[in-house]
Amino acid sequence: MPKKIGIEAILIILALVVLVTMPWLTQETYVFHILCLIGINIIFAASLNAILNIGELNLAQSAFMGIGAYASTLLVTRVGLSFWFALPLAALITAVISLLIGLLTLRFRGAYFLLFTFLFAELIRILLSNFGISVFGGIPGLTNIPRPSIELGSLIKISFDSKIEFYYLILLITLGSIAILSRIDRSRTGMIFWAISQSESLTESIGIDSMKFKILGVAIGCFFAGVAGSLYAHFVGIITPTDFAVHSVLAPIAYVVVGGMGTVFGPVIGTTFLMVLSHFFLRELGFYELLVYGLIIVGIIRFMPEGLISIPNFIFSRFPEASGSGK
Amino acid sequence: MEWSLLAQGGLNGVMLGVNYALIALGLTLIFGILGIVNFTHGEMYMLGGYVAYYFFGHFGLNFFATLALSAVLVGALGVILEKFIFRPLTKRPKLELTSLIAAVGLAWVFQMLAIIAFGDLDKNVPSAFKGILRMSGVVITVERLATIIIGLCLVVLLNVFLLKSKTGMTIRAVAQDKEAAALQGVSVDRITALTFGIGCGLAAISGALIAPIFGISPNMGGEVILKAFLVVILGGMGSVPGAMLGGLVLGFVESFGCLFFSVPTVMVLTFSIIILILILKPKGLLGHA
Repeated sequence: MPKKIGIEAILIILALVVLVTMPWLTQETYVFHILCLIGINIIFAASLNAILNIGELNLAQSAFMGIGAYASTLLVTRVGLSFWFALPLAALITAVISLLIGLLTLRFRGAYFLLFTFLFAELIRILLSNFGISVFGGIPGLTNIPRPSIELGSLIKISFDSKIEFYYLILLITLGSIAILSRIDRSRTGMIFWAISQSESLTESIGIDSMKFKILGVAIGCFFAGVAGSLYAHFVGIITPTDFAVHSVLAPIAYVVVGGMGTVFGPVIGTTFLMVLSHFFLRELGFYELLVYGLIIVGIIRFMPEGLISIPNFIFSRFPEASGSGK
Repeated sequence: MEWSLLAQGGLNGVMLGVNYALIALGLTLIFGILGIVNFTHGEMYMLGGYVAYYFFGHFGLNFFATLALSAVLVGALGVILEKFIFRPLTKRPKLELTSLIAAVGLAWVFQMLAIIAFGDLDKNVPSAFKGILRMSGVVITVERLATIIIGLCLVVLLNVFLLKSKTGMTIRAVAQDKEAAALQGVSVDRITALTFGIGCGLAAISGALIAPIFGISPNMGGEVILKAFLVVILGGMGSVPGAMLGGLVLGFVESFGCLFFSVPTVMVLTFSIIILILILKPKGLLGHA
């Protein structure tokens, strides 16, 4: 289908041009604030999706983002590392912790994984709010988290204090994360993840150790949750345990489901669509916004399970069932 | 003194346990027959509480009639949800994942609707049973005792229904093997809807029963669903005796734990115990391998 790929490439290039030239289009601080949040949420939704790719829903995904956020903050404020080392290190710490959880929970299929991750998310929230208050700050959390800066000698000094500079940083990391995840998706490992999500027993029957790959899938997903957490902490400047409680995973689930589960660009499209909608067009909805999100989740799952990303398939292809990524 | 404190803790443990068991029984029945983890279960419990608040607290309906009404109303809601949301999903691949996301979304919708309709403040429901019983230093309100007795009766009734009645046997048959049951002339769709209704009804009764003791709020479902999940994990997914045992274990652990430790410590302890049990017995205490 060379024609379809052409259209996709053109759209991606167009989007990139708009994103890069954004500061020349508008100077509104609010726009950049929201764009930064969209970037962070795209990374997070993609990380949630990476675990949906192996057929599991991780309710502790926000908790893992929280682990990344707290780890990165403490590495900067307590250990004195620079942000540039703290970000990858925090993501690694998150991935390692998820390895342990994966080893414990992935023996149980489906429902058990979900319930276990639900427990884990609550456990993390309770631990962060009630124990080690001198380190984790208890329920008020941690404040005054510094913005990153680059100093090379005395000549070059870039501080990411302004929204526009931070915007470019987040844009870069978001694009990098999506590139890496799409690379994994197209690799042999990505194929195996997909196979496991379709039928685990069938995958095992051709000699693939599905347990190993499921743990790997969870670790990859949680690594990027850690990246999102670290960015969030240094962008917003305040983190509290409730920011990462179970309910905060609901909006990202909506992003992924609306965009299209199990695809690389689904979470990107879903996050952008819903966040632009809610922050620029539905702001007066206020409280009802959450209700609308809930209805959207149920409606999409019920009537359009492949999400927004499946729409072009219907328009561009005369045989929609032949061009989708399997049924 | 020591003895009375233990007896007190034991009674509270039984009350919590029976309540958890009622919710978890519905959850485990629905899982057994549909393979769906019904995340909206906590919201059914919450709606049961509001039925008690309005019909018993405001309209002065008899308490037992209120319990029955909450089961009927919320049970009917369960049947509707099953028919229009969950059943269509069972015809598609990845049922576990899609039904779960749908249930998570629905739970959210109900919670928001409850806040919009009833306000987000905690509300009190008047007590249906007045008075206090004293026996050699142990003090218990008649209300709590009545809750225990009603709850136990319901658990026993449900068991008799499942084990002895024809419909109960059909439910168990469908849970074991859908195709084989269909071959025997069982209408699987009808039984599935009925089970969903019964499960949601049980959660509603539990919410209505506990409403006068703990009060109600739109987010009470979110708090209790975690406990119900704990009970189901502990007892084994799909196991009815497991749900009852799990409920009692959790009730006792919480009740006695709170006598000796702070609440957060108890929660951490509870989670650790459950994780330990699961490592040793991955399918729960009474689950089938």
